Amino acid sequence: MDFKAQFKEGLITNNPVLVQLLGLCSTMAITTSFFNGLGMGIAVTIILTLSNVIISAIRNVIPDKIRIAMFIVVIAGFVTMVDLLLQAFVPALSESLGVFIPLIVVNCIILGRAESFSYKNGIAASAVDGICQGIGYTVVLLVMCVIREFLGAGTFGGGILGPGGIFEGGALGAGKGITILPEQYPMKLLTLPVGGFIVLAVLIAAMQWALGNAKKKAEEAAKAEKEAAKA
Amino acid sequence: MSAEVKQAEKARMDPKYIATLTARLFAACVVVAFLLGLVNMVTLPNITARKKAATDAALKQVVENPDGSAFSDALELSGDMTAAASGAGATLSALYAVTEGGANAGYALTVVASGSQGSIEMMVGVDEADVVTGVSIVNNSETPGIGSKVMGNEPTANGTPVLDQFVGKSPADGTLSVGGNIDAISGATVSSRGVTAGVNAALAVAALLD
Repeated sequence: MDFKAQFKEGLITNNPVLVQLLGLCSTMAITTSFFNGLGMGIAVTIILTLSNVIISAIRNVIPDKIRIAMFIVVIAGFVTMVDLLLQAFVPALSESLGVFIPLIVVNCIILGRAESFSYKNGIAASAVDGICQGIGYTVVLLVMCVIREFLGAGTFGGGILGPGGIFEGGALGAGKGITILPEQYPMKLLTLPVGGFIVLAVLIAAMQWALGNAKKKAEEAAKAEKEAAKA
Repeated sequence: MSAEVKQAEKARMDPKYIATLTARLFAACVVVAFLLGLVNMVTLPNITARKKAATDAALKQVVENPDGSAFSDALELSGDMTAAASGAGATLSALYAVTEGGANAGYALTVVASGSQGSIEMMVGVDEADVVTGVSIVNNSETPGIGSKVMGNEPTANGTPVLDQFVGKSPADGTLSVGGNIDAISGATVSSRGVTAGVNAALAVAALLD
């Protein structure tokens, strides 16, 4: 288990959204205000970590041929239980994160990591994978939220900061955000679903370009080293 | 077909093997269902109590005079009422009589309409002349940041909060429709339509009540 390598994978080289292209629906649907991104990110990170641990713990009793069906039963059941428990015992948390939880059942990152990682690895490594992939997902959500909120609505920190936010006596998720651009400038288009597609496409392109560059550089360095060794 | 492939094919089609897989999957479903039932049993009282508190708060929001109004327990629903509601595109789930100082002051109805992500449960208040006095959302799973704007009563393009535009509507306005006499929040047309269907259903039921 190599925490540093797994962290780099989750955040950059194997980022769930920008490289594996998982969880795109939720990424585009909810990234309209800072709080939504943070809430969904935290909820997914926690549930992904726990579901990775569960899948890893029972991986030896899951027959290979029906593993996908088993994953779905276990994940859907587990997420529903978390939802019910939150509703009953932590109503405050359920109120602020509750809207995201039903969306997680169908978030393919959970199923994707079960299939590609926790089904083949130990419990501790799977937990670390859940945390790292969750952080990678959260970071992308937050970047998208900041871009779309700023260019689309002209605000920053929607749901947390600004009038009606938690620092001004309001409820979590109610803040309007700090206005940066005056009302007539923002492009409303970016807050609509189509804006989600555009921003996500730009981010994926930028990520692929950066990864491609890094790979080229590494290859050139290896080549130069080889030639230096020859000479 | 080589002998090996045939062998593999035979192993895959082996009824015993298939039965084992089926049994394992079935067992997994049973275990998960059992655990879900257990969790449901433990959490149900708390969740019901919370829902009841939310219903009471919603009832107060949809009448003209929240402090002076009293609410009956849920009334029995007749077949005519449920038929009227489903004719308007939503399901009637509860009905409460509203009284002000003992006098009949209309009704509050809980209706469920379908939104973009699931059902939207809402409370609609009507006065004794079947005029809408308020609409509030009890439960929903609309997309955060899009449909949630409708649920949160945010203003439409012309500045009126989206749920407030229903106040004052009555059967005299005809069937309410998004784009006709109701404005949607841009990007959240489906959620806006859901709420509109709910109010139409509430008005259809209210027309049956005296």
